[in-house]
Amino acid sequence: MAIKTTYAVAIAVIVTAALVGGVLYYYYTTVLARPRANLLEIYHWWTSGGEKAAIDALVAVFQGKYPDVGVIQSPVAGGAGYVMKAVMKAMVAAGEAPDAFQVHAGYEMKPYVDAGYLDPIDDLWSQQGWEEVFPPVVKDMVKWGGHYYAVPVNIHRANVLWYNKHMLDRYGIDPATLETWDGFFEACEKLRAAGISHPIAMGGIGKWEIAHALEQIFVSQGIEFYQDLINGKLTDPNDPRLVRALQIFHRYLDYVNPDYATLTWDQAVARVIRGEAAFTIMGDWANGEFLVAGKVFGVDYGAIPAPGTKGIYVLVVDCFERPRGAKHPENSIKWLIVVGSKEGQDAFNPIKGSIPARLDADIAKYGPYQQQAINDFRNARYMAPSIVHGSGAPEKFASAFNDISSAFASNRDISAACRGIIDAINAARDEYVKEWRLY
Amino acid sequence: MGSHSLNPLAIILIASLATAFFFIYGLIGWNMLLSFTKSMGLITSYELAGLAQYVKAGSDAVFHVSLKNNLMLITLFIPGSIGLGLLLAVLLDIAGGKGEALYRTIYLLPFSLSFVITASMWAWMYNYSYGVINTLLTALLGRAFQINWLGDPNVALYSVILALIWQFSGYTSLVFLAGIKSVPESQINAAKIDGASTLQLYTKIIIPQLKPWILSAFVVLMVFALKAFDFIYVLTNGGPGVSTYVLALLMFRRAFFETDFPYGAALATILFTMVISVVVPYLLLSSRREEK
Repeated sequence: MAIKTTYAVAIAVIVTAALVGGVLYYYYTTVLARPRANLLEIYHWWTSGGEKAAIDALVAVFQGKYPDVGVIQSPVAGGAGYVMKAVMKAMVAAGEAPDAFQVHAGYEMKPYVDAGYLDPIDDLWSQQGWEEVFPPVVKDMVKWGGHYYAVPVNIHRANVLWYNKHMLDRYGIDPATLETWDGFFEACEKLRAAGISHPIAMGGIGKWEIAHALEQIFVSQGIEFYQDLINGKLTDPNDPRLVRALQIFHRYLDYVNPDYATLTWDQAVARVIRGEAAFTIMGDWANGEFLVAGKVFGVDYGAIPAPGTKGIYVLVVDCFERPRGAKHPENSIKWLIVVGSKEGQDAFNPIKGSIPARLDADIAKYGPYQQQAINDFRNARYMAPSIVHGSGAPEKFASAFNDISSAFASNRDISAACRGIIDAINAARDEYVKEWRLY
Repeated sequence: MGSHSLNPLAIILIASLATAFFFIYGLIGWNMLLSFTKSMGLITSYELAGLAQYVKAGSDAVFHVSLKNNLMLITLFIPGSIGLGLLLAVLLDIAGGKGEALYRTIYLLPFSLSFVITASMWAWMYNYSYGVINTLLTALLGRAFQINWLGDPNVALYSVILALIWQFSGYTSLVFLAGIKSVPESQINAAKIDGASTLQLYTKIIIPQLKPWILSAFVVLMVFALKAFDFIYVLTNGGPGVSTYVLALLMFRRAFFETDFPYGAALATILFTMVISVVVPYLLLSSRREEK
């Protein structure tokens, strides 16, 4: 019996060794020796209908220029890249980086840059003349330690107030009065008096929907305040600007649908589309929801900067970069050139619903909302990177910010929230390596 | 072929087990090692840092909340699932005959569904304004009895537990039903001849014999209560605030959202230790029983 077991184990070991050895032998003699296929492998999280069509259009531009390169798209489903973030960090750390992958510009790039997983692409920037066509804050978002590490492909705007135009018309509310919080709350009061008990729609099942609204209120407290916030310069929980922002959010929540904790962002937008609520603050990816529902911009719905943020463009930026050790480094560079080109951006963005990160886009290619956004972008007095969407502040702060916003929405404790913000800044203290200059 | 020759299938099986052993336990070992190193973010270092990451857990307020919530799952979700499962199993047994297969399928269905699907469904049912639960409460008791199931930090964890009991009690009922069926017919007949009532039959004769079945369900539920992640991730994402965080969710957030891999590894190791401390005694116990 014992002998039999010994035999079994010995044979098992031999078989295992043979299997592993065989695979390794095959790999080293065949796979590595074979001339490398001319491929480009990219990862992104654009999987929904419109998003997929947009990235396909960008890939089509690439293939028009480089027909001999095979493109492998590896989309990872999961809203706002939550799933891909985990997948990509694991892949990169395992030395299996693709030729390019989608990432939010700003602090979400930091772990990769810190660990040396990205190559600087300063030469590409100067050679392509990108220095001249991207606005300063956008450039700064892909720059670490004075070097460029990525190319932005699009801009979504975070600070947008969407409204149901029919409701505003019916109750005699002029959108121009919504530019200040006082005017906005007056309109909410008016709607409530008319029987619309919760004129503001908000989601919250993923927490970030709540933090998104609070972020725009922070921006409305002035670009100086927001810069202090994202530079980690706030130290006082009694800072009047901080307290004031939470007071506004406190009032804001009075008008929000009580079922927000079970709704996604698009379900909140649907409340506005159906006329159950008049307003929602959401990034301009919400425009797609109105379009799919057959609504016409300027007729059925409208969009203006969130109250108090006129002249400010809060940036949500996707970009691509060249991972160190990419298997097809030349194709990676070719891809980045297409991503940063006017042609590429004008192919991708009209479908995606965002606007080009470049300032010289062909505005005629865009829909009515996007044309308004492009004008606002070109004439913006200030630009500010979003915290909630991965750019403005260290990941650690952004993560805590979601929890703080979600807690505040239910406990409405202003001093606890202010304290929480300052504590979160202090906890992430070592990671504030960027000094944003927004004004 | 003589009886001494080895089955080639057995060899392949052992070989693949050996490979799996390396990939599973090797990686668990590497994860533990990572938690003791001076790695930072995505930068891996093998310089040892001792217990620094574990000390960090001690001072992480959300870790304490998560640990407490895992304990709440253990103390409420496990007895709830076992109790409801037992009740369903007894009812199925009494009903017997016809409808049994149908009911068994209906009860098992929730368990066969993905957590992501059931969590999205429960999010709808728990909706404050339109959810079926609040609609029922309003119809029966009036508006004042509406509950903010997922929006109230004092309620949200109980809402999660309630939904999980629903999802798991079908599974436990099936386990217990198999247990009930294994009680010898002769014992049941003897009890009936002695004039035992149906209640006595179950409480005195059948349920006491279900101990090993309850124990095995207990271990499965326990492991789930410790590693619960996807259902909570979809239903509340740990909110409101941090009120429904559990250890697995915290580990995911710290490792992948805040790129703190060594700390994530430490949390994973803590979780792993907790699971092992449940599973190993059970395995020892059941192997000893088999020897008897």
